[in-house]
Amino acid sequence: MKNSLEIAWGCLVFFSIFAFSLGYFGIINHFFVAILLLTTFIKGQLVIDYFMGLKSVKLGYRLIPSIWLFVVLLVIGMSYYLPIN
Amino acid sequence: MPQTLQAKSPYPVGDFAIWIIIYVELITFGLLFIGYAIARRSDVALFNTSQLSLNQGIGFVNTLILITSSYFIVKAVQSIKKMPDNQHIHANQKASRWLLGAMLLGMLFLILKTVEFSAIFDAGINLSTNTFFMFYLLLTMFHFMHVLLGLVILGNIYQKSKHHGYTKEDHTGMETGASYWHLVDLLWIVLFPLIYIIH
Repeated sequence: MKNSLEIAWGCLVFFSIFAFSLGYFGIINHFFVAILLLTTFIKGQLVIDYFMGLKSVKLGYRLIPSIWLFVVLLVIGMSYYLPIN
Repeated sequence: MPQTLQAKSPYPVGDFAIWIIIYVELITFGLLFIGYAIARRSDVALFNTSQLSLNQGIGFVNTLILITSSYFIVKAVQSIKKMPDNQHIHANQKASRWLLGAMLLGMLFLILKTVEFSAIFDAGINLSTNTFFMFYLLLTMFHFMHVLLGLVILGNIYQKSKHHGYTKEDHTGMETGASYWHLVDLLWIVLFPLIYIIH
């Protein structure tokens, strides 16, 4: 797509406004944390694909930061959701 | 038959060494992010209370700044990569303007972060105050240093583009610096919701 870079930037700005709004209006709960983590993953993947340019590179190089992002956000999510004894 | 699918490049753009650095940095910051998330479980109330003294507005503006500066960097690289024939000087001038914009945004990030740090230190908070602020200061100051290094790298690239030093065939140095700057952006994208928003 011709304007994919601009669309990626627009999505990054939109998701950042969304994240800030959650914090600003104090609507952080279990549901919105899941959405926040999901949008953070999408934001990271946009940077990896369109800014770092790894979308047009062999899969291995793209998978390393994508897996990193997934694992880090998964552990953050688990530490948030798992009950504390 | 025309080839409709573009072949994937075997290696990422820029010098290969930068990608080793990028992957090592990702692991280092990843461990710190995970450390923060796990440490938070030991005293959720303390983390939530301490988090209230952070300025979410500055964190948000800094997110927009880094995202936009990263976009400017991509535009700078594209100016060189997609330059028309015999437009070498014009393409370098264009790239240097994008780079200057990115550097100014990077400097603004550092200024805002310094304002935030000043407020924190004025309130008598330091690394020993509690576990939350230990992680907050460690993560954000470590990231701050990466932005500072990124600006030094961008400054060098800017100088070279000002002297029309990049060509369509030879711009690996610019792509190397750009990749490092995107790493700084990627790290902040995880850091912002983790430290400022989730509670």
